[in-house]
Amino acid sequence: MNPTKRTMTLNLTDPEMEALDELSSRKDMSKTAVVRQALRLYQMVDFRVRDGQKLFFENDLTKEKSELMLL
Amino acid sequence: MKQEIFLRDGQSGEAVPAELISGISDQTIEMWANTWQPAFDQVRNDFQLNSVPKEKWPEDAHWDWGNKLAMTKGCLSYEPYSIMANGSLEGLMLLNNTKFARLPQQRGESLIYIEFLAVAPWNRKELCNPRRYVGVGAILADLAIQISLASEFKGRIGLHSLPGALSFYRNRLKMSELGPDQSHNNLLYFEMTPEQAETFLAN
Repeated sequence: MNPTKRTMTLNLTDPEMEALDELSSRKDMSKTAVVRQALRLYQMVDFRVRDGQKLFFENDLTKEKSELMLL
Repeated sequence: MKQEIFLRDGQSGEAVPAELISGISDQTIEMWANTWQPAFDQVRNDFQLNSVPKEKWPEDAHWDWGNKLAMTKGCLSYEPYSIMANGSLEGLMLLNNTKFARLPQQRGESLIYIEFLAVAPWNRKELCNPRRYVGVGAILADLAIQISLASEFKGRIGLHSLPGALSFYRNRLKMSELGPDQSHNNLLYFEMTPEQAETFLAN
């Protein structure tokens, strides 16, 4: 199953490109796959927040929760 | 988007052409409501008449696929799939591509999480003998692994299993079992590693 894909040019600053390079390397994923995953996550977070929900991270050991700030 | 596949006839063993479809249309939901639901109702009635213990009743009969689709419409993180054969709905699956792995050796890595996977009532060995088609669940699980590979998640998948499906994930898919999850009604959580995915796809 290969959906039709379209190409775009992405303009990034050096720090942004470094972050993308680092994520791509650490996750062993192409930059395209990282950006695609970032879009899925950002859209999901946006849906939830617009729906009145909050996003938290929970420490596995201490169970301490911290809210993710969305600016 | 459609892909031609073959299902195995439960009686003759012959290969039957079918379609694996990316998406679940309104017509598919209508078909689910008009065919699966009456079949589940019949099973419930039969089981009640024959005093079959409740734990043997279909655990997913209450899943409202129309509602699930409506809740996830337009969200890139959810990917619905369906299988059709001879104009009949044979399997449904909803994937989530924004979950992270929990197994120590792949903790924090992205995986494809199977939110819901169901085969038609007439394709279940505990409800129908002979089944119309066999192996529909395995085809959907195979697809989840393929989606994981295409997403560059290396075949990693995860899921919470209903009690009736434990044997399928343990013995057929040979996934790693991480125990009951309190945040998920104590359902057992399973994960597949890239190595396990490779083994499953090779068989």
